[in-house]
Amino acid sequence: MKSDSSLSTIVKALEEVGAFVEEVRDSEVYFRVTRENVRAAARALYSLGAYLKTCAGVDERELSGLFAVYYIFGLDDHGVDAVLRVLVPQDDPWTVSVVPDVPAADWCELEVRDLLGIDFRGRLTKRLVLPEDWPEGVYPLRKEFKYDEKPPRVLREELSEEVGIPVGPYHPALHEPEYFELYVEGERVVDVAYRGFHVHRGIEKLAESQRFTYKQVPFLAERICGICGFVHSSCYVMAVEKAAGIVVPERAEFIRSIVLEVERLHSHLLWLGVAAHLLGYDAGFMHAWRIREQVMVLAEYLTGSRKTYGINLIGGVRKDINTEKIDKVLKTITDLRKEFTELVKAMLAVPQIKSRASGTGVLTKAEARALSVVGPVARASGLYRDVRKDYPYLAYKRVSFKVPLYTEGDNLARLLVRVDEVFESIEIIKQLIDMLPGGSVVVEEYDIPSGRRAVAAIEAPRGEDVHFIITGVGRPYRWRVRAPTYQNIPALRAMLRGTPLADAPLTIASIDPCFSCTDRVTVLDVRSGRKSFIRLKQGV
Amino acid sequence: MLEVSSVNIAKALRAIKKSVWVYHLNSGSCNACDIEVLDALTPYFDVERFGIKLVGSPRHADVILFTGPVTRESLPKVVKTIKAMPRPRLILVLGSCGIGGGIWWDTYSTLGGFKKLEEILRENGVEVDRVVYVPGCPVRPEAIIYGMLLLLGLVEQKSKRVEVVASEG
Repeated sequence: MKSDSSLSTIVKALEEVGAFVEEVRDSEVYFRVTRENVRAAARALYSLGAYLKTCAGVDERELSGLFAVYYIFGLDDHGVDAVLRVLVPQDDPWTVSVVPDVPAADWCELEVRDLLGIDFRGRLTKRLVLPEDWPEGVYPLRKEFKYDEKPPRVLREELSEEVGIPVGPYHPALHEPEYFELYVEGERVVDVAYRGFHVHRGIEKLAESQRFTYKQVPFLAERICGICGFVHSSCYVMAVEKAAGIVVPERAEFIRSIVLEVERLHSHLLWLGVAAHLLGYDAGFMHAWRIREQVMVLAEYLTGSRKTYGINLIGGVRKDINTEKIDKVLKTITDLRKEFTELVKAMLAVPQIKSRASGTGVLTKAEARALSVVGPVARASGLYRDVRKDYPYLAYKRVSFKVPLYTEGDNLARLLVRVDEVFESIEIIKQLIDMLPGGSVVVEEYDIPSGRRAVAAIEAPRGEDVHFIITGVGRPYRWRVRAPTYQNIPALRAMLRGTPLADAPLTIASIDPCFSCTDRVTVLDVRSGRKSFIRLKQGV
Repeated sequence: MLEVSSVNIAKALRAIKKSVWVYHLNSGSCNACDIEVLDALTPYFDVERFGIKLVGSPRHADVILFTGPVTRESLPKVVKTIKAMPRPRLILVLGSCGIGGGIWWDTYSTLGGFKKLEEILRENGVEVDRVVYVPGCPVRPEAIIYGMLLLLGLVEQKSKRVEVVASEG
């Protein structure tokens, strides 16, 4: 956790490059920095071992007459978030990009450019988030843009004739609409272009609109993603609680943690099934999903819903857990442990699984570090990163568990990390149930002052999920969501290069991509200089 | 249920009744309905025992399982996919988002569900022969199965549409 000496190291390093401290809150330090100095400040933080969590553009014209770009860095070793705030005048909206020093900022800067109209100097820019037929000069996150405005649409036939091997947007290996274009030489993938953001639904804008209040946003946050929705709603309420200084009853923290782990169980089992399916081992797919069903039933028993649990409130949870439920939880996870052990044993005994997963889709530790990847992808490449350990939240400071770590960085390592995590989750749930404290599960009286800022992070099944909030009157002034897949997809380029074509679907799946999280929202000119193209209409 | 067809659906249904090939079309949903679709296909609910099987191309599909509020980015691809499906085009619209756009029905980057999409399909000359809406957020696997049976004409619809006029005062 934070100590004064680590804080002063950070402050000293940043003051040298012309930044100054704006505010210190709990485990966050806010710095103000000019747009000319931001790159040096980012470099200083990076050399202290910081990871880029995300950046966010905010239309602060109503408050200060300026736009602002926030870069949120996490210093995992110190458990401190350092936030750089760059002010950008509205009549001359540009700032210096940090991408040359911090490659992980690539996407979030483009998103700020698309949604807020701030230009980034010193890097290549292109449209990322908004559809191709979206008119120039219309920026959804500016306050004057109404959330339900709909600029005119042009229905175009996309997908040009001369392409590499298209995977998606509708493809049997992907259960969500995303488009990958693989460029191959012979059987080897040489490059990959990605056109995502098919699931951009304008959630961040919606939360600022008149339709929503603080209390209603958890409902919206839960629907960011149907697999790890509870992570998002928990992260949102944690951010609000942190900003407003609301102290949540301990019992509520335990219940949230239990449900978060139940969600991790179902998510990892789901992924394991899909991975088996992509390797052509359908028996494994069916068994994983059969085992998973009891987790869904358990979730319904605990929360009332199979998915989109809806139990998070600001200040606590809506549903308590009684002894009857505790018995059911213990029985389910004991059965699950037994069945899962058998499944893993059977699965890893299939020689094709090991031989196809090992050595493919390798992400080296250096690449993983540069791209600030998160979750199982980071841990499979030898980076010790787990929000539950680095920034202990909810009840995780009270339980003991191991963080699985592999160094190979291949598909097998990512598979094994998730397998180990299922066992760890089962142990965590047992410990939490054992220590479940008494008392109420919600505080109902609280006040949320406006103008406060907070960063909250949760270890989702896919990695670190970050929510950044600036409070407003009655509803968030700005709410920024950074889902784990957002950070991991750029790593796919590194993983896919040189991989045999047949292993591409597994490699894409190995980061457990969750596009609906990522897209709350390329024209890549990679064709030139490539040798061969294969034309296929549908699928691989 | 909505009938808008000139194709002989009864005849087509007799042909596909015990071997229904479905194609899953996600138009920008949050994944929850989508994993429930997979849940229905895997051993616990196991609709494969009724001959319902997921296929990888809309050209092979008898039924499209449609989820999501239709985002702006996915719209051209969704239209293209539905166009690629052979007649009769049977569509099972799943979840609140598919039906009316769900919680994001009026945002800048969604269309607002299948009803709005139908207008665009019509403009582009793509006819849809039968549509069944299955509510839920997300839909339950049991509901998906019931909706499928309804679409195939194997069960009668239990609920009826009733027009209610609000009384004054």
